[in-house]
Amino acid sequence: MSSYFYVAPEQLIRDRAEFAQKGIARGRSIVGAIFDNGVVLVAENPSASLFKISEIYDRIAFAGVGKYNEFDRLREAGIRWADSTGFTYSRGDVDVRALANYYAQHLGDMFTEGQKPLEVEILVAQLGNTTRPTKLYRVAYEGTISDEPRFAVLGGDAETIKARFAASEDTLESLTLTLKNAVGALAGPDRIIEVGDLEVGILEDRGNRRTFSRLNDDQVSELLR
Amino acid sequence: MGLPLFSASDDPGPSFFHFAQSTGLTPPVSNASATSAHATTIIAVRYDGGVVMVGDRQATGNYIASRDVRKIEAADRFTAIAISGTAARGIEFIRMAQLSFEHYEKMTDTALSLEGKANYLSPIIQRNNLSSPLLVLPLLAGWDTTLQVGRIFEYDGAGGCYERFDFSTIGSGTPFAEGTLRLGFNADLDRDAAIELGALAIYEAGDNDPSTGGPDFVRNLFPMIVTISREGFQELEHEDVAQRFRVINERRTQSGGVAGGSLR
Repeated sequence: MSSYFYVAPEQLIRDRAEFAQKGIARGRSIVGAIFDNGVVLVAENPSASLFKISEIYDRIAFAGVGKYNEFDRLREAGIRWADSTGFTYSRGDVDVRALANYYAQHLGDMFTEGQKPLEVEILVAQLGNTTRPTKLYRVAYEGTISDEPRFAVLGGDAETIKARFAASEDTLESLTLTLKNAVGALAGPDRIIEVGDLEVGILEDRGNRRTFSRLNDDQVSELLR
Repeated sequence: MGLPLFSASDDPGPSFFHFAQSTGLTPPVSNASATSAHATTIIAVRYDGGVVMVGDRQATGNYIASRDVRKIEAADRFTAIAISGTAARGIEFIRMAQLSFEHYEKMTDTALSLEGKANYLSPIIQRNNLSSPLLVLPLLAGWDTTLQVGRIFEYDGAGGCYERFDFSTIGSGTPFAEGTLRLGFNADLDRDAAIELGALAIYEAGDNDPSTGGPDFVRNLFPMIVTISREGFQELEHEDVAQRFRVINERRTQSGGVAGGSLR
């Protein structure tokens, strides 16, 4: 007869949370912030091809920290969900809140029922227009979804970075200032992040249907100068 | 629909069409309903800096259903897709192509090559045409950003894809447009000459084919003309198009309705 050890649910949840947090803390952080004309997502990422930030839809972007294979699968599911929703209804019907909720449900399910919780934290951002607001939703490994009013920080050192970023101005600033603050917050006082180790994506209206774009090293250097 | 997650073994990859099929997003086709006319003329002409495409605007059933249909659309910045055949299937086809190219780009962070786009459409056409009487035949033209040339791809009814290095035409007005193109085409056409040849070819098709709409001076509606070049997909301004057809029409009026043995 095999014997079962009783584990209190509180303990089980604590163990799983600790496991997920450890995995996430190994990776580097991401800052997402709203600026006066759009949304900017900044990641510390030494790889120039394994992206943490990407386009989901015309006005929606995605950022993930933690295990790459896990958040990349979530990114792909998000693109599929958005493209098929837009194909079935109309492009204007694709809304970030519905997507954030699906992510939250899936992460929540995996946390309680999966073999192991996903070691990821994700951010989905929407650039507003006349019918929808600009939004940042952060979804944590256990499915907690939070509506971040101005900026969000994901990853291991989130609290420290958040405190550093929050110390900057309280109103919406230009892209240049917001990016400088975000990079400063990611780096901290004793460190400088090389431009080549930064991955920057923005959502901004420039007259095109698709508003997402990646900034290359030259563009980032120009903005940080 | 919920969050579409797949295990690594049955993941449909970056193809939106295969994903849509696997989830039942595209309706199953059956062989049950009546066939419809193949009424249209679309022309693509290669010139030294890209491709000119000209398309008529008329939707024809048993009578004229619409006079201002757009049969040429940008599939992405450097690619144009035109359709002939059943309108409903054609529109779905264009939407599927547009979304598939964008979907691939977002999923993999690289754009499909022009040849990749052309081949991708083959099985979609095959699946439609071999299982349904609601035929659709597209024409794909684009600017190849790698080779820096304009390229034209035409298809047969079973989805076979063929590259054309001169010009191509699809739809019911083909015989009349093709005759004009064969006489007027040469390998050194510039943009303006290619536009003029394309406009003349569709004028001939509209003149002789009841299912192709020529220039409509009464309603001020004209065939649409686009160029796909280094600058991407560009549609000619209405007034520019109108002026070109006024010139052709004036010449034809002067000659009493005959081409007069020359292309002019």
